[in-house]
Amino acid sequence: MAREPDPRLQASSAADSRFDVADEVDEAALAAVMRYVPLGAGVLAGTAVALLVLGYLLIYALVFIPRGTVG
Amino acid sequence: MSERQPDMQERRILGTELLWSFGVGVLIAATLSVIVFTALTMGINPPSNVERADPKTLHLSGEFTEHNLGTSVAADGTVTARIIATQFMFVPHCIAVPEGRPVTLRLAAPDVIHGILITGTNVNTMVVPGFVAQVHTQFTRSGDLLMPCHEYCGLGHSEMWATVQVLPEGDFRPDGNGRVSCAQR
Repeated sequence: MAREPDPRLQASSAADSRFDVADEVDEAALAAVMRYVPLGAGVLAGTAVALLVLGYLLIYALVFIPRGTVG
Repeated sequence: MSERQPDMQERRILGTELLWSFGVGVLIAATLSVIVFTALTMGINPPSNVERADPKTLHLSGEFTEHNLGTSVAADGTVTARIIATQFMFVPHCIAVPEGRPVTLRLAAPDVIHGILITGTNVNTMVVPGFVAQVHTQFTRSGDLLMPCHEYCGLGHSEMWATVQVLPEGDFRPDGNGRVSCAQR
């Protein structure tokens, strides 16, 4: 049974195939998004790390130290 | 859109990354400072002792012969507990130690690798055949503490545990030879 040829194989270059070419980027929209994305990522990562460090310090001060000296 | 816009964005991202790197650097420095501070001021550090003991003659000569096991108080008042960790028991099965005084635990194994921890304390070490594991500690409250083997050592591993009996200072009374055992209580 004859199959439809894959349109991607007919293109002489990947740049000729619409499957392999990135969508057009709206530079203005990208710039608008990039004004907030690094801040949001920083707040998210900072909150996660701050909680981790807080947990470490609480366990260190409330569990590890009261358990007594060792060496 | 101007040509400069992407360049400025990259600079902002670089600035954010540098700020993040600085923050992480501060956190690592703070964590290391806490570890160094407690090591210097409270003497808390991982037990490290490289001291060899021949596992083949452990029970025949030296400090781990049977009559020398358990807790002993030296003439200068230092308390040392010597324990053999073997498949699948600790000898002795109960170790009496004083509350609020420095104690040295010395352990050796004649067969395979064992490990101990004492519940509710920071005592935790491996016991490797051929070496003496040594831990300095001070027990902060009296009572019976569980000391299990925490390194899988064979089929009877789960049955391998001992009791550390932390006695108040008044109840910790060495006999004429400076020995203290749980049974004396």
